[in-house]
Amino acid sequence: MAGHLVGLKLALLRNGLRRSSWPQQVGLALGALAGLPLAGGGFLLLALVPRAEPRAGLVLVEAVFLLLFLGWGLFPLLSFAGDASLDPSRLALLPLRPGQLVAGLSLAACVGVAPLCTLVALAGAVVGFGTLGPGVVLVVAAVLVQFALCIVGSRALLTALSRQLRSRKARDLVILLVSVTALGFNLALQVGARLAERLERADLEGLRPLARVLGWLPPGLAARALVDAGQGRLLAATVELLGAALAVALLGWWWWRSLDRVLTTAEPAARQRTRQAVGLFPRPLRRLLPADQRGAAAAKELRYLARHPRLRVAWVISGLLGLAVVVFVAVTDGLNHPWMVLASLAMAFLASQNSLNQFGFDGAAYWTNAVAGADPRGDLTGRNLATLLTGMVGTVALATALAAVTGGWLYIPVALCLGIGVLALSLGVADVVSVRFAYPLPDDTSNLWAVQGTGQGCLVGIVQMVAFAVQSLLLLPLLALVVVGLLAWPPALVVVCPVAIVYGALVWRVGLGMGAGWLADHQPELLTALSARRAA
Amino acid sequence: MSAGNPPPLVAGSPAALSVRGLRKAFGPKVAVAGIDLDIPHGCFFGLVGPNGAGKTTTLGMVTGLLRPDAGLVLIDGIEVWRDPVTAKRRIGVLPEDLRLFERLTGAELLTYNGLLRGMPAAVVEARARELLEVLGLGDAAGTLVVDYSHGMRKKIALAAALLHAPRVLFLDEPFEAIDPVSARTIRGLLERYTAGGATVVFSSHVMELVERLCDRVGIMHLGRLIAEGPTDRVRAGRSLEDAFVELIGAGDVGAEELGWLGTWSA
Repeated sequence: MAGHLVGLKLALLRNGLRRSSWPQQVGLALGALAGLPLAGGGFLLLALVPRAEPRAGLVLVEAVFLLLFLGWGLFPLLSFAGDASLDPSRLALLPLRPGQLVAGLSLAACVGVAPLCTLVALAGAVVGFGTLGPGVVLVVAAVLVQFALCIVGSRALLTALSRQLRSRKARDLVILLVSVTALGFNLALQVGARLAERLERADLEGLRPLARVLGWLPPGLAARALVDAGQGRLLAATVELLGAALAVALLGWWWWRSLDRVLTTAEPAARQRTRQAVGLFPRPLRRLLPADQRGAAAAKELRYLARHPRLRVAWVISGLLGLAVVVFVAVTDGLNHPWMVLASLAMAFLASQNSLNQFGFDGAAYWTNAVAGADPRGDLTGRNLATLLTGMVGTVALATALAAVTGGWLYIPVALCLGIGVLALSLGVADVVSVRFAYPLPDDTSNLWAVQGTGQGCLVGIVQMVAFAVQSLLLLPLLALVVVGLLAWPPALVVVCPVAIVYGALVWRVGLGMGAGWLADHQPELLTALSARRAA
Repeated sequence: MSAGNPPPLVAGSPAALSVRGLRKAFGPKVAVAGIDLDIPHGCFFGLVGPNGAGKTTTLGMVTGLLRPDAGLVLIDGIEVWRDPVTAKRRIGVLPEDLRLFERLTGAELLTYNGLLRGMPAAVVEARARELLEVLGLGDAAGTLVVDYSHGMRKKIALAAALLHAPRVLFLDEPFEAIDPVSARTIRGLLERYTAGGATVVFSSHVMELVERLCDRVGIMHLGRLIAEGPTDRVRAGRSLEDAFVELIGAGDVGAEELGWLGTWSA
């Protein structure tokens, strides 16, 4: 049974590779290569630091074990780390008992890039703490228990939440929460790193109380067992290891109960909350947007921005980044200049970066536009209009906040005009890139466990880098004018304003013409590109 | 019929749909291997065939969504692949896989479609409301499409295809997953629609339905149109299902095959 499930997992991995085209395979290989340095880094960290800094050893191992445990819990909740072989509902019709499933799925979960990387990183601890003698058995056992904690804990959580995760609203929320959490975590790490720098080595002692608390969590127990075994305290290590193993057993039991529930109880029908039909155009913009194709395209984009979980994540992140800029400017002495208001242009540029794949969220639904014989020019203009609106809202908000901090209120109109110019110019480039290098973005309606767009990252990254380079190149003259204005005589920036708008509009017209011209003859090709790898 | 030489096409051909030598291959696999077809105005045409026969590929090429390798498609005398915009104005399409703008509500989706086709906003709104009511989606007009059931998605896509009152309607499996009451409504709607001179081309697996609704049928197999003409002539005295099975050469399950199906597992 277990062998079958492992075979299924291997077949899924293999077929995933076979189904993809060569750029995707290269991307997948690069993705795996990206995982390896991470695994190697973890390995070196765990292998070298404990020997060099014995006192830091426990804190470090506890932190790494806890991070691994949390990572395994969180990442599968987002679809990108998932795989179809682990979705319990797919196996519901097979005559298998939950016990058999737990055993088989556990083994299947050990196959793949992520488990491999985890094991490689954990193997570092064996090198770092392994000693000659009986302790080494306990060290290896502690590493294996930690690995089991990650696998079983992750699957238990996923299975227990599987019904909730299947509801569309919950999934939307999970995507938002996990992304924001990840960003917050990243920021916390940065702050932590700064703090650690200040603390210097001696102050690692200060982290002891924290280590003591974390040490009672299951990954902490495994970490303590590892360190104790490495230092020859075999009895303590055995007791701690038993504690961690008990946690694995408890998590396994929880998994088993959840599986039993998921496989044997019917899913309640989704409740449909009907809301008042309000029309396509958002109310405040009803007068502003033209009641034609351009308006429809813009309104659809704006509706998506408010409703699509991944787009929500994008604007929440933009907002957080904006906030970070304001805080950064406020606390850094050298930056408190009135002209820092112009930093709000970053918002305009960021908004245009999100539109390098303007058709991505349409995916295969783009047939609606293709079959309507929609005018590509109007379609692109509408999409650009939506980006211009949201980009300018962001720019104005950030400019206002920065002006409040720096007192550079006079720079707000300048930022506004330059923002329009930057956005228009960047959208001109984005219009060409969006039609020529379109790819479908992951479809949120699909199974949470589906692997999506595997390996697209690499090619997409290259195209976006080239687009970014072109945009920057086109922005250079504008940037030069602004810098000269700032250095020579700031009031001269008033002259730069109309120049920026006219220049941006010109580039936009050219880009729009090129994009729309190509699209007019190639709507079926764009549709094919957008339908290429449909989510499973 | 595809056999023999089809009549040559002249510009402004009177047929609602004319197809000559339509071909499409995906790599080594030939999906559509040269089709000739004429469908007159006001016709209710049924396209049937086993899975993988090339029906969906044919409909994709005929509606301008999938570029053919070779061939000519005329809708209302307009060449689809030379003047797609004009041709597309005359057609409505309900595709098989129903990929819709999930994050719009049903009503918003219809408005979007109407405006995309250049219809006046007021007309779009009035027609959308009427279509939603007739198709039983009135209560779900404000629900996001992502939360629709399969049958509801089919109905909202049909509403979107009908919104601009096209002359030719292409429907891929329109009755699949539709409840009997809605199916009856849609049938009545389509019959009234063709009575007014419009043309409906639809693919289906349900032979009884095709037999009852269609004046003409085409049977596709392995990328070719192996029979085409008035339903009664294709049937030739048999039921359409029998004619279909006979034409594609599929036999019934023999007595000795799958004999184990009567022996129960533990």
